[in-house]
Amino acid sequence: MSLLEQRYRSVLRLLPAFYRAEREEEMVAAFMEMAGDVPDDVNARPGWGEIASVVALSVRLRLGAARDRPRPFAWGEAVRLAALLGLAYQAVYGVLVAADVLAALSIGATPLVGAPESVERLMALRDLGSALCAVVAFTAIMRARPRLAKAVALLGTAPLLASQAIALVLPRPEGDGLWMEAGRMVITAAPVVALLLGFHRDVTPPRRSWWLTLAPPATGLMMLAWAEVWLALRLYESEWLALWLDLDGTAIAALVVGSAFAMARGPVPSRALGLSIAGLLLLLSRLSLLIDLYGSSTGEIATVVATQCVLLTVLAGALAAVGLRSLRSLPGAGAATLT
Amino acid sequence: MHITEPMFLALIALVDEPRHGYGIVQEVDRLSEGRVQLKIGTLYGVLDRLSTEGLVAPDREEVQQGRLRRYYRLTDEGAGVLEQEAARLAANAEAANARLRARRSQERPLPAGGAA
Repeated sequence: MSLLEQRYRSVLRLLPAFYRAEREEEMVAAFMEMAGDVPDDVNARPGWGEIASVVALSVRLRLGAARDRPRPFAWGEAVRLAALLGLAYQAVYGVLVAADVLAALSIGATPLVGAPESVERLMALRDLGSALCAVVAFTAIMRARPRLAKAVALLGTAPLLASQAIALVLPRPEGDGLWMEAGRMVITAAPVVALLLGFHRDVTPPRRSWWLTLAPPATGLMMLAWAEVWLALRLYESEWLALWLDLDGTAIAALVVGSAFAMARGPVPSRALGLSIAGLLLLLSRLSLLIDLYGSSTGEIATVVATQCVLLTVLAGALAAVGLRSLRSLPGAGAATLT
Repeated sequence: MHITEPMFLALIALVDEPRHGYGIVQEVDRLSEGRVQLKIGTLYGVLDRLSTEGLVAPDREEVQQGRLRRYYRLTDEGAGVLEQEAARLAANAEAANARLRARRSQERPLPAGGAA
């Protein structure tokens, strides 16, 4: 076996075992015929394009779109559900951010949005753009426009992730929200990654109803209205309540209620696993806050955040256990024949 | 079903005769005049999709110089889908050409006294 063939077979190990059992020899034959006779001393390797094509094939196989392979289909549906929940979260957040920025711009609140043509103004406009992209991306995927959703999601998150990454590496005073920044990056990037991986070219997403599509932006508007009530009733004076009424706190409550409803309808592996992934993302967000709070805030805040972390750990763990157990009852990954 | 360009070209490649994987890559390269160069991973994703939809089917296997060659053939359903897709693309191309002809004739008005 030549060096090039060995290396190509190593690349093919990215593919699921059931697929390699069926296809490996013919793929190697086709690749080696394409490559021609290449002596070992040339130290040839498969090209990056070829490796990328195998990676893409592996993703499409492992996050299946076809029901005739139940386990990859369940994993695929789990990642797609996690993407939808994550994008819904970002759409709600987008409405809140857009409202803040627009209100500040309309009254010329320069401490918040900076003077015209300043760096702070540019960053405020970036935040506004990202917020609107989040709403459009969620709307697009719910209305079965995956290409538009991916393009807009990348357009909205790339500048945010870039500035978050820069903020992480710059020197900062100790305890100045480093872990929260890292948590924010994860919750910004993860739903977009799930969107890109889960809604691959073999997937035809269903067109969802308008009321489901508009639910997150509507929730964002309701939270804005609720914030006025909150201020009027001075509920912000209660620190523990504030941590349940903010976006993450509301998302945790929604996840608990949603999981209870989902599990009451019977253990569907994709649903349990997708909700577990969403719970894990919320846990990372709250955990990063808890780490930053360590030693620097009142016991009440830290206790509430710690309680939320414990709740999320138990919930995500239980959902994962239910999902994995019901996944094992499905036929194996290669159940359907390939041809 | 949405037919992508690689799928369309792979179907055309199988019209004349069954081909194996590298044979399909070569024929697609020739049909597209070098514009579409299928990677092996992409090719087998395309073949999987076409097989699932019943548009191609395995034809036979051979061992050549110790290597497995699996040949694929176009099914009747595949030929029908290819014909429909070709007709759709031809109709779009004709619509584009008709509009462009009209635009060119507006930009270059006929000389006075009529055409020669």
